[in-house]
Amino acid sequence: MGATLRAVRAFVLLSGFYLLGLLLLAVLGGIDWAAWAWAPGAVRIKIFFVSVVLAIPVVQGLFMLRTPRDDEPGGLPVTEADEPRLWATVRELAERIGTRAPDEIRLTADVNAAVGEDARLLGLIGGRRRMYIGLPLMSGLDEAGLRAVLAHELGHYSNADTRLTALTARGRVQVARMIETFHAKADAKVARERARQEQKAGKRLAKGRTAKEVDTAGAGITYRTMAKIYTAYGNLYLRATLSGARRQELAADLAAARIAGRDATARALRAIPALDAAHDFYLSSYAGLGTEFGLLPARGEVFGGVRHLLAARAEELAGLREDLPDEPASPYESHPPMAERVARVEALPDDGRSAEGTGPALALLSAPDTALAAVEDVSLSPEARRMRRLAWPELVHESMSARVARGTEELRAAAGGAALPALLDAIDAGRAWEIAGRLPRSEEASAATGRVAREFARPGLRRGLSAMVTEELLRSGHARWQFSWTGPATLDLPDGTPEQLTAALDAATADLPDTAPLRVLLAPLAAR
Amino acid sequence: MARLLPLIVIAIALYFWIKNRRAAKGGSGGSGGSRAKNAEAAARLGLLPADRLDTENLTPPSAVHTAAKEAVQAGDWAAGAAYVEEAGRDWYERRRRISRLADAAVQDDAWLLAWRAARPEDPAAAAVQASSLVYLAWEIRGSKLAKHTTDEQFASFHRVLKQARETFAHAQELAGDDPSPFIGELPLAMGLGYPHEAVEAIWAEIEKRDPLNYLAYSSALQYWCAKWCGSHEAALAFARRGAERARPGQLLTNFVLEAYFEQESYDSDLEPQEFYNRPEVVAATDAALVDLAAAESVLDPADPRLAETRHMVAWMLYWQDRYEAALAQFRLVDGYIGTAPWSYAGDPKGRYTNVRDYTAAQVLKARGE
Repeated sequence: MGATLRAVRAFVLLSGFYLLGLLLLAVLGGIDWAAWAWAPGAVRIKIFFVSVVLAIPVVQGLFMLRTPRDDEPGGLPVTEADEPRLWATVRELAERIGTRAPDEIRLTADVNAAVGEDARLLGLIGGRRRMYIGLPLMSGLDEAGLRAVLAHELGHYSNADTRLTALTARGRVQVARMIETFHAKADAKVARERARQEQKAGKRLAKGRTAKEVDTAGAGITYRTMAKIYTAYGNLYLRATLSGARRQELAADLAAARIAGRDATARALRAIPALDAAHDFYLSSYAGLGTEFGLLPARGEVFGGVRHLLAARAEELAGLREDLPDEPASPYESHPPMAERVARVEALPDDGRSAEGTGPALALLSAPDTALAAVEDVSLSPEARRMRRLAWPELVHESMSARVARGTEELRAAAGGAALPALLDAIDAGRAWEIAGRLPRSEEASAATGRVAREFARPGLRRGLSAMVTEELLRSGHARWQFSWTGPATLDLPDGTPEQLTAALDAATADLPDTAPLRVLLAPLAAR
Repeated sequence: MARLLPLIVIAIALYFWIKNRRAAKGGSGGSGGSRAKNAEAAARLGLLPADRLDTENLTPPSAVHTAAKEAVQAGDWAAGAAYVEEAGRDWYERRRRISRLADAAVQDDAWLLAWRAARPEDPAAAAVQASSLVYLAWEIRGSKLAKHTTDEQFASFHRVLKQARETFAHAQELAGDDPSPFIGELPLAMGLGYPHEAVEAIWAEIEKRDPLNYLAYSSALQYWCAKWCGSHEAALAFARRGAERARPGQLLTNFVLEAYFEQESYDSDLEPQEFYNRPEVVAATDAALVDLAAAESVLDPADPRLAETRHMVAWMLYWQDRYEAALAQFRLVDGYIGTAPWSYAGDPKGRYTNVRDYTAAQVLKARGE
């Protein structure tokens, strides 16, 4: 089947979406007509009501597909005056690809670059073009690599030479979005129903009656049914058009290699999965370390900090770049597996351009730090923007200390709010397992008795005790959390203390407990 | 074609006959009817009904052991200490008593803590504590498959085993001539997957003290099995070495049978009917029968070594279609079945009665009753 024929099929499939909607409406209308003719009055009204409820999402679906409501374009728009070099690069690449340059460039906080277009009339007429460029992506690529990524994305505007294959790609996005919308509607309905029932239950309680269980199984079922019908159709659609989409991705890679150079393109493709993983890790282990305690890194560092991590762990990342995923992320993934894409590009003949553009991609921006701060301002939630900002060493120390403090809570509660000295006295008095028994327990631990129960309780007791002692050491300034871009945060203790502490905690939580070593360790703290 | 027909009929009949026979023997039980008939045969021969079989124990409870267990659980650790001392230099008996006390300490160890606090350098207390930690670890882990065992269970399991290793080292320092704490470490070697050299070092210490100790062979054989840290060949070679060196009546011949049994349980490709009838297995069974006859005049009839060997021999005889001989063993051990090969089945009672009752029915059939 040629490209044209496949495109015609895609068009038919997209039209089928309308036909499906109209068919569903006709079926509902037919039922109403039959009800009008034969059913008794009360039943008739009920049937009308249900059919209208069912018809609403179908009609909405038809309109949804006609004018897909675009997501609010995110990110920070930058004008040509703001970022002349970036704009010049994009324009030059667009020209070489042979497509119209975007009308907007937006900087985002993702490890990604993307293009979008406000299309009209089923996507047959193009509209305003936007290009999204993620600063974390720029942080991890060299200039030539970024050019390759941008060239690839621009290739999607003009891809595969016909408007109709563009329609295929657009249709796929619209289908997915429609199913998503149906599910979102169903979820919203379930949430509303839950809130309503909970409110009702509250009222029942206020009147002194027992509250009924909140049951939301029925809510949103009409939407979900519609979603199911459309999902079935959408699957058919996606499967039918997917091989074409994957071919287009490979074509865009080859175009990128032609324009940005073979080696730069391969380098960028290899770098992206590694960057993605590194960025996820960075967000959870560094930038997000203190969010639960209301702490964030300094302005500009939330998305900019990943640069330090990338620099410090260059070797690890090099390893990740060698190890590429060779399976598609999902059966509906429009991109071929990364290993295949890289292999295709690397199979091209050497173009002698491997030394081009090896400077950092961020240098294309007129003021990278300002841009990072500005993107942060538009990307963070209002809640996050109100958090306390700290430099990295303080952020790590304070977040980890807060974590230690939280780690003491369970044991403190189990010991009836006792402070460390009182807890040690209780251990000496043989009450350790009674206290540990009040710590939160797993199902297996709750079922255990005797010595087995004690073994289940021991780690919790030791952990809590360790947290309480560490808290004392931190509070008195004997300990400090050290942060590092190459490894996890470590607790800095005076010489000899780590071994002493381990042995002392073991002794205090042993079967024949001995708290003396811990007391020795804590004595100088109390003196201060 | 017409001439071939009778042949085909015979072939088909033969096929179904063999298939039925295998099904009846294979443990899946055959039809409900034949099971009931077999059970009836067992009853006629005076064998016990399923509900009177004890799957926990290998022998009837002994008054001495029960008294010691009750005394320590009442807090009298000195009674426990005396119970171990009474074994004297009978290292098999001493190890057995330590193991029993260790088992009693898994649920409640208040008496053991008191014993250790009062006599920190008591070799018996240290050996009991070390083994009880191994049993405790398995109690924590439970017997479910790894995927049904939680991370918390695994973490505690490994923590307690590590502690057991340290405690064995301490107990071995205090051991003197006693091989107990070395024998006790073998199950730990299995659980923690000690390297072969480490186990050989432990084995050397055991050989110095009591080279043909039945319990030492029992534990070490498990280590050398394919399912733990060795192979079928290693297990068999190990068991044969012991059997060759032992005097008749020491019952180390049992472990050659056990090695075959382990191999057959592990390797699902083996057809038991064929495997257990191989000449070397039949010869090993005969050797065990001779060993048993010798042991009868040396050992107390209530000795668990006798019972353990009889169960394994009965299993072999059953597969070898030696039903009269198998029945003779079943008669001597019926009632207490807490051992291999039955304990390896999901339903030990089911496997035992299946095999025993089938044997009984075959015996009656052969006698023409």
